[in-house]
Amino acid sequence: MKLNNTQRIGLFAGIIGLIIPFFLNIPGLSEAGHVALGIFFLAAAFWMFEPFPIYATSMLVIFLQVLLLSKEGLIFTSPDATYSPDSYTAFVGTLANPIIILFLGGFVLADAAVKYNLDKNLTRILLHPFGSKPKYILLGLMVVTGLLSAFMSNTATTAMMMTVILPIIARLKKTDPLKIGLALSIPFAANIGGIATPIGTPPNAVVIGALSQQGINIPFGEWMILAVPLVIVALIFAWMLLLGMFKPETDSIQIDMSGSFNTSKNALILYIAFGLTVLFWITESFHGIKSAIIALIPVVFLTLTGVVTKDDIRKLPWEVLWLVAGGISLGISMKSTGLAEWIVGSIEWSAFGAITLLFVFSAVAIVMSNFLSNTVTATLLIPLAVSLATSGVAGDGFNLIIVSLVIGVSASMAMMLPISTPPNAIAMSTGTIETKQMAKAGISVGLFGLILVVVYAIFYWPLFLN
Amino acid sequence: MDHQIYILVIEDELEVMDALIKDLEEFEQTFPIESANNAEEAEQVVKSIADSGDEIGLILCDHVLPGKNGVEFLIELESDKKFGHARKVLVTGQAGLEDTIQAINKAHLDHYIAKPWNMEEFQKVVIDQLTGFVIEKKYNPMEFMAVLDSVRLAEALRGSKLTDH
Repeated sequence: MKLNNTQRIGLFAGIIGLIIPFFLNIPGLSEAGHVALGIFFLAAAFWMFEPFPIYATSMLVIFLQVLLLSKEGLIFTSPDATYSPDSYTAFVGTLANPIIILFLGGFVLADAAVKYNLDKNLTRILLHPFGSKPKYILLGLMVVTGLLSAFMSNTATTAMMMTVILPIIARLKKTDPLKIGLALSIPFAANIGGIATPIGTPPNAVVIGALSQQGINIPFGEWMILAVPLVIVALIFAWMLLLGMFKPETDSIQIDMSGSFNTSKNALILYIAFGLTVLFWITESFHGIKSAIIALIPVVFLTLTGVVTKDDIRKLPWEVLWLVAGGISLGISMKSTGLAEWIVGSIEWSAFGAITLLFVFSAVAIVMSNFLSNTVTATLLIPLAVSLATSGVAGDGFNLIIVSLVIGVSASMAMMLPISTPPNAIAMSTGTIETKQMAKAGISVGLFGLILVVVYAIFYWPLFLN
Repeated sequence: MDHQIYILVIEDELEVMDALIKDLEEFEQTFPIESANNAEEAEQVVKSIADSGDEIGLILCDHVLPGKNGVEFLIELESDKKFGHARKVLVTGQAGLEDTIQAINKAHLDHYIAKPWNMEEFQKVVIDQLTGFVIEKKYNPMEFMAVLDSVRLAEALRGSKLTDH
């Protein structure tokens, strides 16, 4: 394995960061808090500079916590006044956290949908009503992308939609700005669409995981009630922005997506499983069956019927589950060792109003996730926000659920650079867009997203959360 | 990519070589071009590419060459573990039926371009072959979308289980 300079700095900073707290005596921080601080430094450095893949760092985080902070570990074998160590099962158990199981169900469904071409066939049908005017085609593409990425990964959705738009782009005149608009519309819509449901994208999982540890359960449908109106407004804004920035020259586009729905027995089983699962998910508030339990429907049903095979299961993106679990696990010890509270306590929060704080958290999340993984951004910020809210130092207007949502949603609003999200990277790799075009459009969406998130956090979300 | 994927052109007539290389210009940034005037020289090139840990994605080979002919060269290369996957295209006006059959059966010839060629069709063959090569080798399709067949590569990307992070 060869590391570049940035990665070497990250490796070095991480190791130093892990060791230093062992030699310090920070007043007001428990001994376990020092250890947790070291692990936090290491995780932050490794996640930011990526000397190792981010999922590998997550695995390391879980291991280090078991080793250094659990009851069965090397240091804290019995509870004392400042720290009562969790069993190691608390850390490894994050891998079976309900949100992980929910994601597993989503993965199985999405994977089977791709296997039986459901994603592409749905796209074909759904695009139909949008006609042939470039303006509405662009809107149609964004709506469909947003919708699919709410249930599939943003990245897989983008890859599929590229197979739809690249032939269109190839037929356009070389100079038609619509090419750029099309190429940007897909990753933007995918990034935004991922916000819409709990399983849309991993930062949502980090938010839900963190809240569940505070004993707060957000049903699938309730998340959608909170998030979908924001997604719609953001999508419309991005659509108008791209239309304005890249005015189409052509006045008509033909989309020639031929094909028909797969009608094999396996495909039909998949359609039924998909429809039923989504139906039960969004009606969670009515029947009360938890979405993670519903997620077992596709897992069980599709494997029993052989629609999803052993090979398919082996190829699921397990590393994403580790990534989220590592994040949830880090949150456990930051809280139980008093580290998060100490970090929060070291800043004079009451000097800011609740609104300023929401604004700051949103801005920081958007900036960070433009450069870092969205999940890592959410993982690093959520424990602070949770402590801030639960400790009450930020005042009454600072609601735990709202600030968590602000961070989760903001992490998905970053789309300025090719490295901001995998969908951006895919769009960039087509060679249709220049970085500065993506940056200009992406910054506009980011700024709008910032304002949008804060407005929803102040005026809309409280309607459902109090 | 941690290594280069070369296009190897084997042609003894200088003017034809120039024309081939000119038509390959737009690929050169991504796929560096090596040329050889005969099979023996080509073997040297292959060896030096192997030594530097790089590989060959596409071989465009004339048939009638001084010394060993193109088909013989391709058949020998086919048994080479490291380069057996390279896409093989004969660019020739003079390969007889027997030689062509040999090339298909023993060297797994991927395409036959008859001289004189048409630039657009030639480039399409190059794109098709290299696209097939990078997909077969499971290289990251994103690194090649801008130069090769982006739709096929996007389709490969779709099947490659991409995730958010």
